[in-house]
Amino acid sequence: MTEDDIEVMQKIFNPGSVAVIGATASSDRIGYNLLDSLIYGGYKGKIYPVHPKLKEILGLPVYPSILDIPERVDLALIALNQRDTVDVLEHCGKLGIKGAVIVAGGFRETGDEGRALEKRLVEITKKYGLKVVGPNTLGIMNLEAGLNATFYPVSLKKGNVSLISQSGGIGFSIIQKCSDEGVGLNKFVGVGNRTVLEISDCLEFLAGDSGTKVIGVFLEGVENARRLVQVAGKVAHRKPVVIYKVGQSNEINEATLTHTGSMAGPYKLFRDIFNQYGVLLAGSVPELVASCKALSLCRLPAGGGLGLFTYTAGPTIVALDRLAGRKISIPGLAPGTVRRIKAILGENLPVVLKNPIDTGGLGTRPGTYGLLVDAALADHNFDLLVTFCCPHKNWPNPTRELIAAHQKSHKPVLTCYISTVKGVEEDREALQQAGIPLYCSPDEAAWGAAALIHYSRRGGALHGNA
Amino acid sequence: METRRIIENVRKSGRTFLTEVESKELLAVRGIPVLSCRVARDEEETVRMAHECGFPVVLKVNSPYIIHKSEHKGVFLNLGGEQSVREAFRSIRRNCAAVDPEASVTVQPMIKKGVEVLIGVIADRQFGPVVAFGLGGVFTEVLKDVVFRMAPVSTEEAEKMVYQIRGNRLLRGYRGYPAVDTLSLLKIITGISQLAVEVEDIEEMDLNPVVVFPRGAMVLDARIKLC
Repeated sequence: MTEDDIEVMQKIFNPGSVAVIGATASSDRIGYNLLDSLIYGGYKGKIYPVHPKLKEILGLPVYPSILDIPERVDLALIALNQRDTVDVLEHCGKLGIKGAVIVAGGFRETGDEGRALEKRLVEITKKYGLKVVGPNTLGIMNLEAGLNATFYPVSLKKGNVSLISQSGGIGFSIIQKCSDEGVGLNKFVGVGNRTVLEISDCLEFLAGDSGTKVIGVFLEGVENARRLVQVAGKVAHRKPVVIYKVGQSNEINEATLTHTGSMAGPYKLFRDIFNQYGVLLAGSVPELVASCKALSLCRLPAGGGLGLFTYTAGPTIVALDRLAGRKISIPGLAPGTVRRIKAILGENLPVVLKNPIDTGGLGTRPGTYGLLVDAALADHNFDLLVTFCCPHKNWPNPTRELIAAHQKSHKPVLTCYISTVKGVEEDREALQQAGIPLYCSPDEAAWGAAALIHYSRRGGALHGNA
Repeated sequence: METRRIIENVRKSGRTFLTEVESKELLAVRGIPVLSCRVARDEEETVRMAHECGFPVVLKVNSPYIIHKSEHKGVFLNLGGEQSVREAFRSIRRNCAAVDPEASVTVQPMIKKGVEVLIGVIADRQFGPVVAFGLGGVFTEVLKDVVFRMAPVSTEEAEKMVYQIRGNRLLRGYRGYPAVDTLSLLKIITGISQLAVEVEDIEEMDLNPVVVFPRGAMVLDARIKLC
């Protein structure tokens, strides 16, 4: 991507004015919902609905054609059928509009006619220097600019995680999970057919985007995976990239004639090669979100030594299971830590002190919890700590103690409260405000820790950025 | 370029598969250590070559129509004397007659034991040239212990490949067996990955087995398929 390209993309995500071409008054149509999303999302720029006959939609004056809009708009959202879309795009180009989002499907995925249309679309974009998101896309968002240019009116928390998705449906699955987890979003791109703007273009743009600290990607498959992995690897040196790739069924190519060919299942290839380039892979939407959440809230640990602290063994065992095979070190306790814990809990403990640190019932008392977490965080074998607890009606949650301990230490702390998502809303808000991600399952806490450790290994460049 | 000449010769004969002899010739010109083999067209020639190369020897079928030599019962290992060479030659002729009645054989010395690995290349539709490394010989298909990298790979990356396979302990020495010469192995991996990038005609390539010794490493068998 050239500097000019980046500038066009910046305008697409930060438009001063937006035209909604194909806006309608019926709420079951895409055109209506694009408009509703802009308004509901709190977009502050000018909005120009375009429809040949209607006078007013959702309280906004309507323009009969894009040529009637009094200023040059920065972004055109096109909700017309595929044929009209291409005609309108030509008009946009002539008017000097540089950015468009095309929602319609019906292009190359439908056969010869669609392919021909898509070819014309590409020619138009080249002729006028237009950048197009889609076609066949949910749209884009930039919460920093209050811009929801999708046809799903939603209200989301603003933050520093940006998402690129090849699927609208899974894109939404990720967005909703982020909402549940209190993960703030910055930008979203549904790349659709990737006819003009490719996933690698979006990665390059987000790499230089100051509002984006972490990039999450949902990937189905691309033709030029070679460029994608090279770009992703380069971007991952600047800021963390987490990719969830579907298609893990290792169906083999039966036509191949060598052993090498027959063993290269597509997912195995993908996994090995993305690992080669240092990009973190997630195996599911929850893992993608758990990873992005930790990378969004925590500073990166100085090393990979992981400490676990609990008063109930099960969740730590599950967490260790999730970490198995990832070459993550679970170091033992330093002798000083053992002495310190015994000084707090007494010499004759009913448990053996090791990592995971399991204090049993003794660890639940509010007076001692903070001291124990302090001791664990002070252990020089640990670079980060995950704590586990089970919220209880009559016992206070250790939220205050965790925040206080975290403030005294430079090491990342992650916590798992075994609970429903709704049951710990206040704790989540308080902890995450203080930079401690709260997870409701040990699996997710483990994925979060693994993501931090992965990017801690990438060395200095990322630390400077974080 | 020598590599080009070998490939053009194969193309001229209307084939996309290089025989073992051609594959090894191509590898040799790239500086990859191969166990060279000689082609014998009849029983007497085979026996003479076996004597020249010294017992024990290996006989393999040599035919442009036969890619998987073992599947056609076209490989005989560890032949200790003239009589067993004669019997092996006749067996190969018999076993492969249906596919290629004119098939010749290759004669090569039986190599002392080392750890057998596989080094391969595929031209992936999405990633372009990709290099593979894994346990070789009989383990290849059973364990599928193979890792992949986008080519070219650096020596450092090749080393990571070697340590990534589950069976890497076999290379580091176990139960009294000495550790193998990893450096020689890494040289072959990086050399092959460079070849994969430079010669775009290669669609698939199997070097299997490559035997790694406490000192040195050598390609014992190879097949190359062109696009």
